[in-house]
Amino acid sequence: MAAVSQLQRQFIEYTTSLYNEGYLDDQFTQLQKLQDESNPEFVVEVVSLFFEDSEKLLNNLATALQQKIVDYKQVDSHVHQFKGSSSSIGAQRVTNVCVHFRNYCEEKNLDGCLRCLQQVKHEYILVRNKLETLFRLEQQIVQAGGSIPMME
Amino acid sequence: MCKKLVQMMQGKIWMSTNSQGYIQSTSLVLRFQIQQTFNRPMFDLTNFIDQPKSNSIFRGLQVILADDDGVNRMVTKKLLEKLGCQVTTVSSGFECLSSLGPTMSPFHVVILDLHMPEMDGFEVATRIRKFRSRNRPLIIALTASAEEQVWERCLQVGMNGVIRKPVLLRGLEIELRTVLQRAGERLSS
Repeated sequence: MAAVSQLQRQFIEYTTSLYNEGYLDDQFTQLQKLQDESNPEFVVEVVSLFFEDSEKLLNNLATALQQKIVDYKQVDSHVHQFKGSSSSIGAQRVTNVCVHFRNYCEEKNLDGCLRCLQQVKHEYILVRNKLETLFRLEQQIVQAGGSIPMME
Repeated sequence: MCKKLVQMMQGKIWMSTNSQGYIQSTSLVLRFQIQQTFNRPMFDLTNFIDQPKSNSIFRGLQVILADDDGVNRMVTKKLLEKLGCQVTTVSSGFECLSSLGPTMSPFHVVILDLHMPEMDGFEVATRIRKFRSRNRPLIIALTASAEEQVWERCLQVGMNGVIRKPVLLRGLEIELRTVLQRAGERLSS
């Protein structure tokens, strides 16, 4: 049974690395600050919704890019949505790929789009795993009787 | 038939003919009551304007938020609630317009994502300006775009403010406060 302080230190180190490596940005910090007693599960709720929506978007993108005649407007519309939701929660690396993805859509560059799809999927899976790890750490701290350190 | 309708309106209608019996003109006289204009304040916005610098300025402010993305809706709604607003969310331009219908309770502010499918924010704002001239809510656009043309178009279409996405609490607070203060200045002038 790890001591609370050890878990808390782990949490701080992990969170700091996520920011340093660009997986998360200030928008995520804002989300955490929005969480309060009236809505103690807010971050997990928003992030879960993000996961659900993202998986649908990725499927839609794959389908759209597999069409004989690709509708780039449709593809762009999906990417735009992905860009918006990822930036709302602070998933910076996902948002960055979306920016490049939109450029390829405008150019109607199928190759570029397919590459971006792979990239954005990759970044999404990475951030999803990282956030799940973060939430698990939080749970462990709470279960051990401690409180989650506030990141500034 | 026209005669019957006009008579129901307590008016008179007659046709005058020339010497050869052809109709020359039609005259119509109708009575109208002169409406009394009340000095009706816009939803009592004065409550929100003279507050000292604190977040109580937004307490009780009725906001309707239109954004087609679920994640964005959730986050923006929470930000607005943090500022003290009472928020209703809708996911399309159509829903937004029907929520602003004449039988619904009034909203003070409409916060509108510009890029919604089917009916975008510009169209919604244009329609709001046409139909709700008396009890018109303030309109603030939400956009990821930093382009001047986009912002200019917002002004042209009659919006009162623009907020850049992704939304930050401070940015939201400042723009809301500015829009309310400007509206207050209009009222008192």
